[in-house]
This record gives sequence, structure tokens and C-alpha cells, in this order.
Amino acid sequence: MALDTRSQRLRANPTSDWIREVRERFPVESTLDEVMTRKLDNRRKGLEHLSDFTDLAERLTSYLRQHTGQADLSLTNLKRLSGGASKEQFTFDLTWKDASAQRVTRKLILRMDPSESVVETHRLREAQVLKAMVGQVPVPEVLWVDPDPHTLGHPFLIAVFLPGAVQPEGATKASGVGQMFPEKYRKALSGQFVDHMAAIHTLDWSKAPLSSFQKPKPGTNEGTRWALALWDRVWEEDTFEAHPVMAYAAGWLRRHMPVTGKPVVVHGDYRGGNFMFTPDLQINAILDWELAHLGDHHEDVSWATMTLTGARDDDGTLLSSGMIPRPQFLARYQERSGLKIDPQTLYYFDVFNAYKFAVITMATSLRAAYGKRTHLDAMMNLLTGLGYVCVATLQELLAQGPPK
Amino acid sequence: MQPEISQFLSGMKKAIEQVVIANLTDRFAQEQAGMIAGTLGFLQTVQDKAFHYELLENHLYKQLLSDAVAIVTRDATASKVTAEGVAAIRAHQEVDPAGSAVHLKPFRFLRGSNETMRELLATLIHAQDQFPAAVSTRFEALLRPFFKDLQIRERAWVKALGFDNLTDPVPDLDALLYRDGQLHLPGLGG
Repeated sequence: MALDTRSQRLRANPTSDWIREVRERFPVESTLDEVMTRKLDNRRKGLEHLSDFTDLAERLTSYLRQHTGQADLSLTNLKRLSGGASKEQFTFDLTWKDASAQRVTRKLILRMDPSESVVETHRLREAQVLKAMVGQVPVPEVLWVDPDPHTLGHPFLIAVFLPGAVQPEGATKASGVGQMFPEKYRKALSGQFVDHMAAIHTLDWSKAPLSSFQKPKPGTNEGTRWALALWDRVWEEDTFEAHPVMAYAAGWLRRHMPVTGKPVVVHGDYRGGNFMFTPDLQINAILDWELAHLGDHHEDVSWATMTLTGARDDDGTLLSSGMIPRPQFLARYQERSGLKIDPQTLYYFDVFNAYKFAVITMATSLRAAYGKRTHLDAMMNLLTGLGYVCVATLQELLAQGPPK
Repeated sequence: MQPEISQFLSGMKKAIEQVVIANLTDRFAQEQAGMIAGTLGFLQTVQDKAFHYELLENHLYKQLLSDAVAIVTRDATASKVTAEGVAAIRAHQEVDPAGSAVHLKPFRFLRGSNETMRELLATLIHAQDQFPAAVSTRFEALLRPFFKDLQIRERAWVKALGFDNLTDPVPDLDALLYRDGQLHLPGLGG
């Protein structure tokens, strides 16, 4: 006797009625709705993600020739990169005439979506926010973006490759989550790490070209409501089984949404492992902007300083993103950004982020691996280990309650 | 039957670690092979405990759902969602009743029943907003210790994957499941 529930069957084989119902129940930003609906449509087709790139160089060359109008450009040294948890990444050397009409050879990076990712995001949003941040914080220069899946088989973005490291020598943590930075790195990098977040949050985004982003009104909870609807929807679409703590947390988060006085650009995954530094320990790029949205600054502050993205030193002290104790982070952040940290709102986003992290690591990662829909199926299964730690953190936070 | 599953797994893990990874030159391939080795190590830890883990879950969810139904049905004005949730729980209790010989059923039945019970509990939790205050308080008091035990159990299951950086210690899976050499089902002794 099959005991699969109706929800489980629908998630595995989404019908158009169910997709419509989910879209109505969890209203998210329109560009995100587009990629999430495409994910479900693809899931219905049941195709495995294939990591066969025999003709990638030719297709990429053809795309670039078409978009530059330069029939003589040449592409060499196409190589797949290791690391990363969501996108397939390749580097290549491109020789072409750049904007100044000089013939140059530059090393570029191609970020391409798998069939289903650990996070479903939109390449145009990523490209727009990267362009908005030029001059505000160090970011890779985006050259081309194509959110259409037809050109290379999946949406992609091409940016200038930056040399540098994302983790200290000898690092062992997948994607840098929970990686401890040795003392010499901490001394040099932690202040820059805080300052760059402050700079992101003080950008006047009203003047930035962010047409693919929905703009929340100041003094409302719109930004948080959209962000929560996103993770509720992802859970509903991707989880294999219900989890009582997740159900309880979802209700709590809906009931306690704080008002955001002044919405900011939220990076969405600001932590160790998502910035790059040079050998002289200068941060030369803030990376992985795919979860960026407009919302509450506490969301990023919580994410960068929460237990789940931190690491403990030899004394057991938790260092935010493996670098700096939370109180020091908060003090410096407030001083540099001029934005206040409200302990109750920070608590809300600790719960929110534990929920979000659990959705990613316990629902989406397993779903993507089950359907053989990524290039990292083995890693996606392992991430469940982190997922249950996220749920445990969520349970502890909810049991403690907000600070008095 | 031979070889035991643990021997298959340890043989594969050794081959991956000492032969395959050592001879791979592509960094992406090395990384993937390392994850396969890690997965095999995890499977060595849990492979002979999966059935008993699900049996314990089955026992605990049955107890909880039975207690939850007793609490929410004291309210004569239960909402439609709550009434439907209770009806669905009762229907499932017919399929997999408390005290049945579920240990003789195939693993797939046990997993499926547990998945169903998790979903039924989540439905009641989603309906909690509509409970009268006194019912909600009693329901909450039922959930709190269950949640605490649940997170310890789940962390014990994935402990070997090495992600846990929380400060309170997590028991090994053996210690969690067995007392005096046999599966411990709370409330039943043993």
C-alpha cells in the first residue's frame, strides 16, 4: 500500500492546478515567481540535469560573437570551477575588443543555473544588483547576462574573473559555511567585512537600476512579507515531508513580522565564504548576490552573525562568520552604517534566517538531488546534516523567546 | 548474508579515498569524490539503525497525535480546518493503529506512515491560530517537549556528517535508540 500523501505526490509531479494554487497562496516578487514557476514546469518534465559540456565552448562563442558583433573574438581555456553550492561555474579567456575598442584578453567567469538549484534565483536580478553596487563595495564587473534558458540550456551571467581566495588556506567547510578564519585573517578581514555590509545598506537604491526588484514602502513590513512568502513557497514546493517545527515557525514568523522603517538592499547571503580577498588580505569582491532583495537590514546582520554561519574558537566563543564576536560586529556596524540594531527585530531575523537556512538545506537541496537536477547531487544530500542543525537552532530560538 | 553492508561500505570508502581521489587531477572531481567518501562514512553509521529509528518515530508520533486529538476535541467549536485535521488523523489511525505489529511491516510502510503523521501534525499546527486560547495553551505545552526531543533525535541521526556546532552535546545514535541492549520506546519500557 502506498502511503505517500497528496502533497508529496503533487510536489513530485506538479499539476498546473497545484502550481497555480501555490502561486496564489505565496505571492512573491514577479521575477522570482518566474524562476520558481519554471522550476516546477521543468520538474514536471522530469529531465535529469546533465553535466555534458562538450559543445559549451562553441555555444558560448556563438553567443558572444552575436552579442558583440565581433566575428573574430576567440574563447580559450574553458574550465569548470570547483566550490560553490548553487551554480555551475566556468572560467575562460576571451580575446575581443572591449568598450574602449582595445583588443584585450581577459579571464572571465560564467555562472550558469543547474536544472534545479539549492536556491532558485534570477540572473537578471543578480546582474542588476552587481551593477548597482559598483563604487559602493568591491564587486565583479558583469559583462553579459541572459536570463533566457535557451541560449546555453540554462540562464547565465558572465563577469570578469577576479583573482583571490574565498577561504583561508587549509579550509575544509563546504561553501565556507562555519569556516573559522585563523587570527591573522580575522585581524585583517573582520573590520572590512563589517564595513562593506554597512556600505551595502547605505546605498540609496531609489536611484539604482533595479527594475527587476519589487520596492517595499518605508514604514511597512512589505519587504519581509515578500521574503517570508518566498521561503514559505520554496518549502511548500520542495520539501519531501512536513516538519512540525517548520510548521510552527512559519506561523510564528507570519504573526510577528516587524515594520521596516527604511528598506535597504539586503545581500541575502552575507557571510564567510561569500567574499574574496587578495594575498595581502584586502577584500576585493563581495560575491553571491543572487538572493539580494530590498528589505530589512537586520536580515543581513542576523545572517552574518548567527550561530549557523559562525564558528567557535578554542575557548568556545562563537565568532560571527568565523571572524568576530557578535557584540563587536553589531557595535561597528551601527557606527559605520548609522542604522540601529533593535534586539527584538534581530531576534525575529534570527528565527527567520534559521527557517530560511532549513528550507534551503532540508527541502530544496534534497529535492534537487532526488531529481538528479544538479551538478552537485552528492553534496545536496549531505547538506541535510546542516538542515537538521538549522531546525534544532530554530527550535531553541523559539523555545527561548525574544529578548526582554 | 555476506559480506555485511558495513563491509561493502568500508571497502568502497577505502577505494575512493586511497585510490580514486589520489589519482584524480581535476579539482571538481576530487571534491565530488570526497563527498562520496563522506557519504559512505555516514551510511556506515546509520545503515543498521534506520528501521529502529523509524519505529521509534512511529511510536512517538502516534502518542503525540492521540494526545493532540484529545486536547483539540474538547473544544466544541472547532474550526472546519481543525475538524478536518482530526478526521484525517482518525482515518490514519485506522491504517496504522497504535499497538499494531508495525514492526512486521516493510520499511516503506513505516516511513510512509511517519511521513503522513508528520503532515497531519503540521496541519494541526497550522490551525493553531484558530484554537480557543485555553486549547492553544494546552496544545503548545504538548508540543514543546516533543520538539525538544525531536531536535535531539534528528541531530543524533546526522551527527556523523559533522555540521553540528551547537554547544549542548548530542548523544550517539546507539545511546539514543537503545537501553539495556534493545530499542527503547518511551511509555512501553524495553
